[in-house]
Amino acid sequence: MEYSRLRKITALASVASLAFVASGCGGGNGEPASADNPVALTVTTFGQFGYDDLYAEYEDQNPGVTIEATNIDGSANARTDAFTKLAAGSGLSDVVAVEEGWLGSIMEVSDQFVDLNEYGAADIKDNWVDWKFEQGTDPEGRVIGYGTDIGPQALCFNRTLFEEAGLPTDREEVAELFGGDEATWETYFDLGRQYHEDTGKAWYDQSSFVWNSMVNQMEEGYYTADGELNVEGNEAMRAQFDLLASGTLDGLSANQTQFDWGNGQAFVDGSFAVHVCPAWMLGTIKEQLESAGGGPESGWDVADVFPGGASNWGGAFLSVPQSSEHPVEAAKLAAWLTAPEQQVKQSAAANNFPSTLEAQAEIVEAAVPNELFNDAPYGAIFESRAEGVVAQFKGPYDSVIQENVFAPAVKLLDTGEGTADEAWEEALTLLNDQVVNN
Amino acid sequence: MTTTLNRPAAGKAATKPAVTFRQRLSVFDLKVSPYLYIAPFFILFALVGLFPLGYTFFVSLFDWHLLRGQGEFVGLQNFQEVFQDRFFWNSLFNTMSIFLLSTIPQLVVAISIAAVLDQNLRARTFWRMSILLPYVVTPVAVAMIFANMFGEQYGLINNILASFGVDPIMWKNETLPSHIAIATMVNWRWTGYNALILLAAMQAVPRDIYESAAIDGAGPFRRFFSITLPSIRPTMIFVVITATIGGLQIFTEPRLFDPRTAGGTAKQFQTTVLYLWEMAFQRQNFGKAATIAWILFLIIVLFGVINWLISRRIATSGDDRGGNRRARRRKRPVAPAAVLPAVGAQPPAPSADTAGEPLAGPTTRSGR
Repeated sequence: MEYSRLRKITALASVASLAFVASGCGGGNGEPASADNPVALTVTTFGQFGYDDLYAEYEDQNPGVTIEATNIDGSANARTDAFTKLAAGSGLSDVVAVEEGWLGSIMEVSDQFVDLNEYGAADIKDNWVDWKFEQGTDPEGRVIGYGTDIGPQALCFNRTLFEEAGLPTDREEVAELFGGDEATWETYFDLGRQYHEDTGKAWYDQSSFVWNSMVNQMEEGYYTADGELNVEGNEAMRAQFDLLASGTLDGLSANQTQFDWGNGQAFVDGSFAVHVCPAWMLGTIKEQLESAGGGPESGWDVADVFPGGASNWGGAFLSVPQSSEHPVEAAKLAAWLTAPEQQVKQSAAANNFPSTLEAQAEIVEAAVPNELFNDAPYGAIFESRAEGVVAQFKGPYDSVIQENVFAPAVKLLDTGEGTADEAWEEALTLLNDQVVNN
Repeated sequence: MTTTLNRPAAGKAATKPAVTFRQRLSVFDLKVSPYLYIAPFFILFALVGLFPLGYTFFVSLFDWHLLRGQGEFVGLQNFQEVFQDRFFWNSLFNTMSIFLLSTIPQLVVAISIAAVLDQNLRARTFWRMSILLPYVVTPVAVAMIFANMFGEQYGLINNILASFGVDPIMWKNETLPSHIAIATMVNWRWTGYNALILLAAMQAVPRDIYESAAIDGAGPFRRFFSITLPSIRPTMIFVVITATIGGLQIFTEPRLFDPRTAGGTAKQFQTTVLYLWEMAFQRQNFGKAATIAWILFLIIVLFGVINWLISRRIATSGDDRGGNRRARRRKRPVAPAAVLPAVGAQPPAPSADTAGEPLAGPTTRSGR
């Protein structure tokens, strides 16, 4: 009895699963997802994205949709993951987060991604700050990514250390100290030299982040707007490099390992006093402080000022690859996650700054203080820092130049193994090896 | 009419012995089955071994971008360019350096541990299992823990050094310290494993040889160097070969020692496989990556051949000596115990007593 019933059940189950396979696992046939037509969507993000609660909310609102999320530790590994899967021609999630730094590479194969215009991108175009939406559009006018956040840069500083060094600690006074709207890198390094002289300590964590900020600020970075390499013979860039080199060689760099900081130790032990802070960096610092047992008492704060004027570093996009089996549902999810209402929630969860105007306005108005950063009104600060940001053209090797060419070169300065000339020469050699003659 | 016409044909069929299905099956079984039995290996090998090898070579002849795919045919230009790339030679140097720093200490320590475990210890299984423990831990976890310990500013090791007033060692920024750090990870993981393999070999050495040697007055060190080491030679060769292949393909440890870079900021510990990985997934040049893969393949083949030649030499010379010994024994069956192992191996003979070593015979016997 028992045995034959079991067999009946098994037979039924196999028939049912066959039918399921025959129907293409549901959802693939273009019908909207519902309780009768369940769809499982995969999403890959990286770093601090703050989407967990939003996934649950979306699942509640859309019966039949389940979201399988993967979060990769950082942008560089997410890049490798995405490139590997693009090269293999399979394995990409239905929704993939793409970082601004490697968007240039993705643009080279933009035809591997769904044109979101087919799913109503034009209708919501005006949600975003214009340059963000343009970044996600390829030269043929296909929209391949909805912007999530942007990375306007402010300056983080440590109140405790500033106080010890006899510097002002109020964030507005600090902004004035650096020169307010007229803040320059020269002032930044001079203040650093003074601080180093008074305390014997380093001013910033390591040179690479400062360098990224300087380059991101230029009208044209590693590439010209026409997509030509723009490093060798670029005098403006070389002048900035010399500025950084002289500061670093004067002992202003703590020679920390980026995105490691001794598991956050460097943020609590007073190793350095200022830090370049694109909006998403607040989330990164939060994670580092948690890992090292720090908190609001660690003394970090953020000032509405940035040397050299407005600068944007990073920010991400959500894309739907052509290989997705559920492009309709995936595009819908991407649009929903990047809609102003959700961006506000994402910003609260991940400490980053939204790319849609409405969400920005809402955050400024809500003025939720960031507890970890001395209750700083981060919405207003980053809204102000976003003013005047121009989108820089990112070429196909932008992130390689940042991480494999200039990061090792400025490391020579951090360790004191090279002079400004030597480090610059090393950068040019590496550029020739890895990009020009690649 | 029709019947007469048909008859010869029918007669012909009748004269020829009918081959039954069963017979045909057994012929088939005899001729074809063996090939079918070995087919799975060859099919699998062709699929996951030979085809990728050939296809990699095909890719290496092209300008092949990771994302854009196949480009122009460039012939052997990729090989030429890789040989001119300073980072290729750098990676080769790093690989060899890490390989030597890991293999040599590893073998020395593994043999010593095995020799200790070969003694009559209390709770033997416990000791044997505990040296295997590091092998069970995943390499990723090992790399993360060691990368933390070898941190330059906050690492455990530099902290301890600092408390003795020693300057911190730049484990990640300087070449030799970084190689030592990575070799330490490899050693930590593989020493116990190799020790167990060597221990198994040691246990197969007949105990009476040791006894005879002891009676002849050989101390523990003499016994170890003159009996243990020569006896486990084939196993040693096996361990060396596997360590060589593993050492040349080292990837996880240097990759995770500094997860933000492909082998250090200035490629201080970029091994060849890591160089390959960087070429494919960061520099996005699949053609050159395939080239590196092929060069690495040829290097490993080269090492394999060298290993094979050396091991063949060692193995045959070992056999020769054994053969000579046997020949000598055959010639002089009642000779005094000139060669130690031979005495133990011989059946107890009264001649042993008369040969001037009164204790040898009886002790050997009572020892059994």
